[in-house]
Amino acid sequence: MNECHDLKYISKNKKQGLRVIALAGNPNVGKTTIFNGLTGLRQHVGNWPGVTVEKKEGILKYHDKEFLVIDLPGTYSLTASSIDELIARNFLLGSNADVVVDIVDSSSLMRNLFLTMEIFEMGIKNVIIALNKIDIAKKRGISFDVKKMEKVIGVPVIPTNAKSGEGVEELKAMISGMAEGKATTNPITPIYDEPIEQEIGHISGVLSETPLAQWYNVRWLAIKLLTRDQEVIKLVLNYLGPKKMDEILIHISELERYYKHPLDIVIANQKYEFIDKLMHQFVIHFGEVHETFSDCMDKILTHPLYGIFTLLGVFYLLFKFVFTIGTPLQEFLDNTFVSFGQLIAPHIGNETLRGLIVNGIIGGVGSVLSFFPLVFLLFVAMSILEDSGYMARAATVMEKIMRIFGLPGKSFIPMVLAFGCNVPAIMSTRTLEDERDRILTMLVNPLVPCSARMVVITFLTGVFFSKHKALVAVGIYAISLFLALLSALILGKFVIKGEESPFVMELPEYAIPSWKIALIHSWERSKEFLRKAGTVILFGSIAIWYLSSYPQAMGSGLSYAEKLGKVFEPFTMLMGLDWKAAVSLIFGIIAKENVIATYGVIYGIGENEEALIMLMRVAMTSLQAFVLALVTTLYIPCIATIGAIRAEGGNKWATVAVIYNLLLSSIIGVLVYNIGLFLGL
Amino acid sequence: MGKLDDILELIKEGARTSKEIAERLEISAEEVEGIIKILESLGYVEKIEIGESCGSCPLKKICLGSCIIFKGNIYQMKK
Repeated sequence: MNECHDLKYISKNKKQGLRVIALAGNPNVGKTTIFNGLTGLRQHVGNWPGVTVEKKEGILKYHDKEFLVIDLPGTYSLTASSIDELIARNFLLGSNADVVVDIVDSSSLMRNLFLTMEIFEMGIKNVIIALNKIDIAKKRGISFDVKKMEKVIGVPVIPTNAKSGEGVEELKAMISGMAEGKATTNPITPIYDEPIEQEIGHISGVLSETPLAQWYNVRWLAIKLLTRDQEVIKLVLNYLGPKKMDEILIHISELERYYKHPLDIVIANQKYEFIDKLMHQFVIHFGEVHETFSDCMDKILTHPLYGIFTLLGVFYLLFKFVFTIGTPLQEFLDNTFVSFGQLIAPHIGNETLRGLIVNGIIGGVGSVLSFFPLVFLLFVAMSILEDSGYMARAATVMEKIMRIFGLPGKSFIPMVLAFGCNVPAIMSTRTLEDERDRILTMLVNPLVPCSARMVVITFLTGVFFSKHKALVAVGIYAISLFLALLSALILGKFVIKGEESPFVMELPEYAIPSWKIALIHSWERSKEFLRKAGTVILFGSIAIWYLSSYPQAMGSGLSYAEKLGKVFEPFTMLMGLDWKAAVSLIFGIIAKENVIATYGVIYGIGENEEALIMLMRVAMTSLQAFVLALVTTLYIPCIATIGAIRAEGGNKWATVAVIYNLLLSSIIGVLVYNIGLFLGL
Repeated sequence: MGKLDDILELIKEGARTSKEIAERLEISAEEVEGIIKILESLGYVEKIEIGESCGSCPLKKICLGSCIIFKGNIYQMKK
């Protein structure tokens, strides 16, 4: 292959003389549907040479003629910034196509014509525009004067509705005619500001004297040089040499100084404005921009103030839903485990084995497993909120609050993910480019209560706050989130300083959630809870049982668990928590659910579930239970989360996270307990 | 300069949703979203890939399950 062709991809079919039709267009414009409509079942799927991008080819039979149809990757422009764009661009540059069918979405014509103009600028003349999704455009009140459009744009325009097949036969006829040279075209190309046009003229003049002019449209090459397209710079350098190239680059820099912007954005802006003016010549109605249901809802749900109240209200209702339906199911499961323990206990002769199975395994794992309905229902509610489109709005509200507290805007993704699990949330901090943003988000992320901590919150609020459990649960969530934001403010101001990195969101349309999808998603997520109960919590429960039974049974003051708890009791008593709470918190570091498993083992839920609740109510006040739920939510993250922080931020930040969470939870625990005592709670 | 540049400026200034930008520029949210896609292809913004289901999530191998799925597209400005 000649060196000068190094931007081009030459199709084998072209060499064989088969007439080729290329389908170009933006992603999701109905290109594949039109491809199917043109080729029927005569298709072949492979890869583009050297890459794993799918290449679809098919045969179009029209009367007695055959054409090879190639579906190019969907792109928004031909800037070669992605592999898809590079494939499409190089294919078109190689003059491989006898006809290019540019499929445009008539309901979003502006951005679609941006690609059309780029194709025209390459000097490709045999282009047909398939004005697709014409039905959607009609519904939106958009209408076109197609004849005028053809005249203005300079190529044939065929309105199509690929889904119904409308216009496909006309398109086939036009393809056939154009491939046989029966159609003449005169594609319009954008005209830029005078300084840019002058430079295009100057560069084109220089390039016209090189062999490149034989193979490429020199105006296209000049425009690409102005936009500092690296592929084109390399190509042109081969023919102009470094001296002339430097002169061109100096001119480009001067122009950039004149516009105070890189020329790629200047040219793109002017191209966009050019299309805007063109469209006014052939679009009869642009469709009315009126407030949709979605717009009205967004005004409330993403409002800085109403949005927060709505968010709190939605989460209150979420917990109300989970508790109302989930509690009877949880109690049923509890009783089932108790009955099962009582059923098998007499059949196990060996006392140690009976203790292990009934108190250790059934008591520990059973107390956690009985929360499965609550976890499942939480995920059902979350899935419904996600599918309805509300979660994206909630994220917008959270992002606004987070920004006030100095958290980088993009942190809201890991913060939202953390409501499910902190591990993927911390892993997702990889999307934050800025080191400061990443570290800050990682450090405050464990303060967002995950679903494991939800189990503990649910358990303790259920036992101690039967009337207002949903409200107390939301309160604990609100305190944790407030502390996460406050921590971000403090850490961001004094520990990790940096710059904000901007981003923008496209909110999904509101939709009626599907119960089926919600149930499938919830099951997918809840399975992990069951897996965890069968592994980490099972081993945790066995360990707790062992430590609480040896060397002497609990109550003697000599069991390992009591000894361990007593070591930490002087410290935990500052927040009103005894040695049992201390032990449960230690085991909670392995997995937060172990906090409940520990109580299950210590109080022997395997033998009597009612007794557990009664004993806990005797051993603990509502204030102490509230403090325990809060401290469990705030203290040292679970091992998996610490591991994730270590993997993403290193030992230093994992240590900082552990110390910071421990300090924060201790301060809050002591404060809340003593303020509560002072208020007589 | 033009709409593309205006949108980039608004993102830098802190506008966070396409609707917010659309209101400020008095154009439709669809047009804003179209321009964002052009800006993406020009390399000014990049899409943050977030899994739409557990099956398609790039973090599924390390995930302990139960993450929250964010629907919608997020584009961040390239530095």
